Parts: sequence; C-alpha cells; structure tokens
Amino acid sequence: MAQELTNNLFDIAFQLFNRVGDRDFEYVYKGYFDHDITKKILFLADSSIGRLTGFSQATLQKRIYYIMVEGLQNITHHQDEVANEPSFDKYPPVFAIQKYGDRYYISTGNIIANPNIDPLKVKLERINSMDQEELKKFHRDMLRNGSISDKGGAGLGLIEMSRKSGNKLLYSFVHLDDDYSYFYMQTLIPTDANFGVADMDNGQAFSSLENVKTLHSHMNKENLSLMFNGFFNQENLLSLLSIIKSRPNLPLTTIKISNVMVEMIQNIIKHGSKLSEDQVGVPGVFFLGQTGDETHLTAANLVQAGAAESISSNIEYLNGLDREQVSDLYDQILLDFAAETSAKKTGLGLSDLRIKSDRPLKYQFRDAQVGDSKFYILQTSIKTKK
Amino acid sequence: MEKLFIEETEDTPEVTLDPQEGVFKISKISVPENALDFYRPILDWIKEYAEDPNAQTVFDFDLEYVNTASSKQVIQVILLLQKVAEKGDVKVNWYYESIDEDMKALGLRYKKLVSVPFEVIEVE
Repeated sequence: MAQELTNNLFDIAFQLFNRVGDRDFEYVYKGYFDHDITKKILFLADSSIGRLTGFSQATLQKRIYYIMVEGLQNITHHQDEVANEPSFDKYPPVFAIQKYGDRYYISTGNIIANPNIDPLKVKLERINSMDQEELKKFHRDMLRNGSISDKGGAGLGLIEMSRKSGNKLLYSFVHLDDDYSYFYMQTLIPTDANFGVADMDNGQAFSSLENVKTLHSHMNKENLSLMFNGFFNQENLLSLLSIIKSRPNLPLTTIKISNVMVEMIQNIIKHGSKLSEDQVGVPGVFFLGQTGDETHLTAANLVQAGAAESISSNIEYLNGLDREQVSDLYDQILLDFAAETSAKKTGLGLSDLRIKSDRPLKYQFRDAQVGDSKFYILQTSIKTKK
Repeated sequence: MEKLFIEETEDTPEVTLDPQEGVFKISKISVPENALDFYRPILDWIKEYAEDPNAQTVFDFDLEYVNTASSKQVIQVILLLQKVAEKGDVKVNWYYESIDEDMKALGLRYKKLVSVPFEVIEVE
C-alpha cells in the first residue's frame, strides 16, 4: 500500500531547487481563490520581498503589491463568472510570483470560454500598443466612461498592471477542450527603476511565461496545489501556514496538514544546509498535493553527505515500527533530558511525523550539484477523511 | 510571588502565571524555532513557585498547536507541576479542539507520562 515517491516529483523538486539563485524564490498556488487567501498570499509575498531582496525601495514593494492585487482580483473576477461551470473544478486557477535575479514575475492563469479569447486578445493588444502617456489617458477615459468595458473592471485592471509594471503584458492561451482554454498572463517587474519598456521584448521574459506554464502542467500531473521554492525561515513558515489554514476545501484535515507542515519546514530550517552563512534562510522546496484520499506534503533540501546515512537508517527504523512502538519511542525521547540541549539529535521530529502520518515516511537522496551535499526529499502522507 | 505575563506572538503562546488571581495558563500557539529560550523563564518561575505554592493550582493548557521542539519544554513544565504538587493540590487541564486529533493525542501522552491529576478536555 505504501507507494514509492514518484520519480517525476523528485525530478521536479531537484530541477526547481537547482534553478533558484541566491535570494531568488518562486511560489505557485493552484486552486480556489477567495478574499482571505488573496490577503494571505499578499502577506507571504510581502515578507519574502522585504526579507529576500534587501531592497528598501518602498516604490518597488508597492508596485509589486499592487500588481499582485490586480492579478489576484482578475482571477477572482473570472472565477465568479465560471464557478458554476463543470470545468471550474477540473481546471482551477493558478497564481505565481517568482523572483529571478533583478526581476519579479507575477503570473496568473484561469479558464476562459473560447469565444471570449478574441475580444480579450484585442484588448490586450490595444493596451500593449500604448506607451505610458497613452495608457494614462486611456485609463482616464475608461474611468469617465465605464461603458467602454462590458466586463466590469477587467479592462481597468489590465491597464493598471501594464502601467505599474512599466511593461507589456505577456499572455498565452492554451486550448483545453471545445469550450474552454487557459488564459495565462504575466507581468514583469524590474527591480531597477531604469530598466523599462525597451527591455521588454527579449526572449528571457517570454521563456518565463513558458516556465509558469510548465510548472502548472507539472502541478496538474502530480496533483499539487501549492509549491514554494526558495529560502525557508520562520517568517516564511508562518505565512505559508496561514495560507494552508485559509484553504476552504479541506476543513477536517486542515489542522493536521498545518501541524505536519510546521514539523517538515522546521525540519528544513533546523537540519538543511545553507549554501553560504549569510543566506537569509535554508534553501528548499515544499509541495502540497493530493492523490486519491491522501494529502501529501513533500519537503526537499540539502544535507551534509555524511548525514544522509544516519537519516536513512533513522527513517528505515521508524518505518519498521508499529504504531505502539513509535509512540513508546516518542515518550522515551520526550523524557530524555540529556539530549535536551541538542534537540537536533533526538529524532523527535521524524518520530512525530511518523506518528501523525500513521504510515511509512517516503524519502530519497540524490547527489547534489553543490559541494559535499546530498539532495534529500521527504514525503509525509495523511489520510484525508471523508 | 510576582506574576509572570508573556504576550502572545505569531509563534509563541500567551502565558499567564498569576498566583494572586489563581490563573495559570498557557494558550494560543507554540511553534518557535527556539523553544528552549522561550520556556526558560517559565520553567524558572515555576521552580520558584514550587517552593511556596498556593493551596490549589489549576494549570490550563489551551494550545492550538505545539511543535516538537516545544513539546519537550511543555513536558518539563508539567514535570515541575509535580514538584508543586508536593506542597499543594495541582490539577492540569489540557484543552483541545474537537477535530484536532494531534493535540488530543499529545494531551493523552502527557497524561500518561505524569503523576499529577491531568484532564484532557474537548472543546468545540
């Protein structure tokens, strides 16, 4: 009954891990969006922006925040239109914020009825053909004469995103079925104020939209609803936690998921290797997904090559114990105060995961591409009660 | 003895240890990175309190979540309450939300490991 970690998921984690540079991050959320979750995503991004870039430019932060709000509202706006359609559950919306080097990318994806594609393209092309002055004027005219847009504020949002980013809106449509397509849109926000519209048309930006499409398709294939790739610290953990807690779909298991998540991410923070001492957190990847009646949480990070063996033997040992035996072991560790100051060594965290999950833990190691480290991936599954 | 009050943060609990009012309570959430430092003043306070405690001490744990690092400190709090029980009556109440199996399990675990009267109480 215990299935192996899919190699595919492992490959994805490995690939993601290796592509983020120092201080980069990417966060993707797939699923239902409401006001609460929007707020929490903004909060997460806010803490990541503040901490990870070290930029003090309030303008940049405000700009990113604003574009995120527009993007997220764009999703909620469209999801309300199609929420009653059968395709809505099958093709949930997706939101991504990524930072690579000196650029932020904010992307959204949602379904759109095929007949609406052409009118939307016209609107997007019109916006993209305008310079800042023209956009400003267009925006003013729209505000004066709301009837220009037959779709509520959707047009205004697009204009604002284009204005705030100082860049064109990248977009792409992916055909799903006879009725629907996915509409992807991406905004690039340079962290350097001088970097403007002229830099827009290069291939790098476009490949980043392709990258989001690929990520989204990975997430669909592996049934992932959330991924975070970047640096883990207590602050990120608390933000991710609040996002999980606001997920409306899993009321019964939400508590358990967030409990397990705390242990897994603190495990990364405590045991994961940093690439350099001045890093603001420990680099790692985290996925939340669902298969059948199980929710799985996957964490990946680097560990010292020398630690890999003791971690495997510890997990193998725990996996071999029955429920009562793990519980006894946990009591023993709890009362072992000699190991109190070296909480790291006790293995309390892994025993706890084994107890909470009530099934074997899955894990793998792979040679990392950096130094004397191993890439370590750990998955905890929880039975989702009906 | 002077009371100890620690305000809650995003990852540490609210703590009230007040012998005058007879309130002894740890509530909200306990998921700090460094549980040792957070619990040290609490453990020190109870150690001193155990010297000359109230005739009766009802200690309430009403925690949303306790991470493993904190769970090791919480057991120490409870073990110190055993010391308090040498000079006065002690009762521990462990509250958990009805759907939270993990906090219930942790409460039952503590109950099993200690000798003070310990009640695991479900709340809606």
